[in-house]
Amino acid sequence: MIKKIAVLTLLASTAAVIGTFAAEHPGKEYILKNGYQGPKTCEVCHPGKAREFIGTVHWTHASKVDNVDGVKPNEVYGMRNRNYTMCNGNDIVNNLKEIPANDKGKTKFSGCNSCHPGDHASDVGSSGPAAEAAIDCLLCHSVKYDFSKRKPIKLKDGSVIIGQDRSVVAATNLGRPSNKTCMTCHEAAGGGVLIKRGFAMTASADVHAAKKMVCIDCHVVKNHKMPTGFDPNNWAHDGLRVSCAGQCHTEKPHKDAAIDNHTSKIACQTCHIPKTGGATAKDFTKWTKLDNGFYEPSTLKKEVNETTPAYAWYNLTVANRPEFIGPKGSRNDGKSKIYPFKVFQGKAFFNKKNGELLSMDFAQPSANGNTLAGVASATKILGIKDYEPVPGWQTIYFGSNHQVAPKKNTLSCTSCHAPNGVLNFKGLGYSDAEISKLTNPEIYFQRLLEKQEEW
Amino acid sequence: MKKTVSIIVMAVLMMVSIVALSRTAQADEGKMVGTISKLEMSADKKTATVVLKDSKSGEDVTIIITDDLTLDKFNDKRIVEGDEIRCKFEKEGGKNSSKMFKKTAGC
Ligand code: HEC
Ligand code: HEC
Ligand code: HEC
Ligand code: HEC
Ligand code: HEC
Ligand code: HEC
Repeated sequence: MIKKIAVLTLLASTAAVIGTFAAEHPGKEYILKNGYQGPKTCEVCHPGKAREFIGTVHWTHASKVDNVDGVKPNEVYGMRNRNYTMCNGNDIVNNLKEIPANDKGKTKFSGCNSCHPGDHASDVGSSGPAAEAAIDCLLCHSVKYDFSKRKPIKLKDGSVIIGQDRSVVAATNLGRPSNKTCMTCHEAAGGGVLIKRGFAMTASADVHAAKKMVCIDCHVVKNHKMPTGFDPNNWAHDGLRVSCAGQCHTEKPHKDAAIDNHTSKIACQTCHIPKTGGATAKDFTKWTKLDNGFYEPSTLKKEVNETTPAYAWYNLTVANRPEFIGPKGSRNDGKSKIYPFKVFQGKAFFNKKNGELLSMDFAQPSANGNTLAGVASATKILGIKDYEPVPGWQTIYFGSNHQVAPKKNTLSCTSCHAPNGVLNFKGLGYSDAEISKLTNPEIYFQRLLEKQEEW
Repeated sequence: MKKTVSIIVMAVLMMVSIVALSRTAQADEGKMVGTISKLEMSADKKTATVVLKDSKSGEDVTIIITDDLTLDKFNDKRIVEGDEIRCKFEKEGGKNSSKMFKKTAGC
């Protein structure tokens, strides 16, 4: 009861400050009087924030990684330099640029590092005074940000920068970062809206969103470090972790012991996040021509809540091979739990000489569908000389950590223990004898009988 | 008496279901990629009327948008004139009402 009141108070106070501060931002008068000259204006009262920010993953797009096979302990990894078949490139290979004209004579800007709160002149991972001055603080902190100003612009010297809204209107209307603040980038990752992770933080899709909770209520930000979890495909991190059990819930949160008994073997997400969405497969070797004359990677898409996850043991360490990125673990290692994953499969070019996945510059294929020209450009950028491209598939397991379903859609006893349940007990390592026990109605019959309403 | 009533009820039910069925058959679904050539918000900010220039045919298609998430994106200019959109819509009462309205761009 006390716990419930505490939670309600927390929610109420959270709700009160959503969108705006509880009180007016104390810096408003100063900015009205002196104008907004970028981060240095904020630093008058918040010294050190810019330098702090450029040390985080949201600026560097990389960090040291220690739970993934085959990575070097002293190097950094992230969207800056990784290559995998959701994107088949990274900030380096797909540096923001104007692509060649298509057959209708049209060009456009394209690049992975457009998901970066700098101005591109100061790019991913840059540092020093110019980088600190280039941070788009208002992108995350203003509630009156004019997003039409945040777009690529080609300068006279041919270089491309990303515009920012540095108006006094934006700078004098600060508010708490909301879902849409974070979704500015997280929504369109992977080449379009809800392609990569395919989760929506909307009231209908998630019980927390229905209670007006926002990203940073769970991802509690500390000195601009954003906590993350252990999605096998999210390597870069700021050293802080968030999980269901910990700051918000306990390992035994149910009134019902029969459910609590599962939590040492089954992750919370497995029962509570029964569906996901987003792209399930892409082909980077053959692009699809759109009516506008541009091409895009051929993509099979699913709406939010349309995809059933795959279930696997996961001990929070990650297998990383050219054909597979995903969870490691087993029933017997004493550390693993069964987690849900969104399985994605991507076809791209591999180097026959060493079996490694090759990356692709999107400029050429976007304009004319020539995917091998994209590979040639990428290998040139990376200095890879000895290669022979052959098409192949890679399977990736993405964590499925959002869209906590309403209670009625939570997996129930029979979702798993009926003979046609969602878990492949055999694949998960259970013996035939164990399976016949786990799929015997004895496990749930009496309980469901008692709960069954008269009919 | 009982029988007549039930016959009438049956008849009404059948008519209703026929109407309902033909309705669903009529509810035309459209899909297109197009560029926003005009974007207008209603005074109460609860609907927007958008003209999309179909990339394939070059024709103008008028779409009505009522979902909050998309309206909000018009409000802070996350979606503006000139943006390219992937849209699914349904013909309802002579109007095209949007069922999905997403920018084609991503990163
Ligand atoms: C004239 C001084 C001044 C300026 C300039 C100023 N602020 Fe503040 N700001 C404050 C004070 C004072 C507070 C309340 C105390 C605190 O939390 O540090 C505050 C609070 C904040 C908070 C909320 C802190 C919290 O814990 O809720 C944020 C976010 C913030 N400012 C961002 C900015 C940004 C971004 C800029 C530049 C656009 C800026 N401020 C410019 C004085 C200023
Ligand atoms: C300017 C674009 C942008 C915005 C805005 C943004 N993100 Fe990110 N975020 C990224 C990119 C790009 C990555 C991937 C970094 C990598 O893996 O190299 C990322 C990674 C993350 C991660 C995993 C890595 C980490 O830092 O722990 C979390 C969690 C995250 N973002 C949460 C948020 C939240 C919460 C917000 C809103 C307050 C937000 N992001 C706003 C672009 C953005
Ligand atoms: C990618 C989004 C993002 C960018 C860019 C960003 N911030 Fe923040 N900032 C946040 C989030 C999220 C919080 C935590 C807010 C909360 O918990 O209410 C925060 C908190 C703050 C706070 C208050 C808490 C503290 O740590 O003192 C200040 C002040 C602040 N930011 C200033 C800045 C300044 C100045 C810049 C530009 C140099 C900047 N921020 C750039 C997301 C961002
Ligand atoms: C109800 C709490 C909650 C809310 C709200 C929430 N997250 Fe998360 N998020 C988590 C947890 C917990 C994890 C890590 C789970 C794990 O790996 O065990 C996570 C992981 C992530 C990751 C890493 C990749 C992944 O999917 O595992 C990103 C990126 C992220 N969240 C972004 C966001 C953004 C953006 C929002 C808002 C639109 C958001 N989150 C809202 C709880 C939340
Ligand atoms: C074996 C499946 C299963 C697992 C694993 C599981 N839950 Fe649940 N959980 C349920 C079901 C079923 C309900 C709904 C119970 C009900 O209707 O009373 C529920 C209810 C809840 C509730 C709502 C309680 C209420 O009274 O409203 C919370 C909070 C919760 N679970 C959190 C968690 C957390 C945190 C974990 C991981 C530590 C977890 N669950 C693991 C099946 C599970
Ligand atoms: C997400 C799938 C899932 C759901 C939902 C689920 N279970 Fe289980 N249950 C399992 C798995 C897997 C095991 C075996 C765990 C292990 O390896 O120890 C198990 C074990 C059990 C056992 C112990 C069997 C034995 O003899 O070892 C009982 C009893 C049981 N579940 C009852 C229930 C009841 C009652 C419910 C509904 C409240 C339920 N389960 C819901 C997956 C599930």
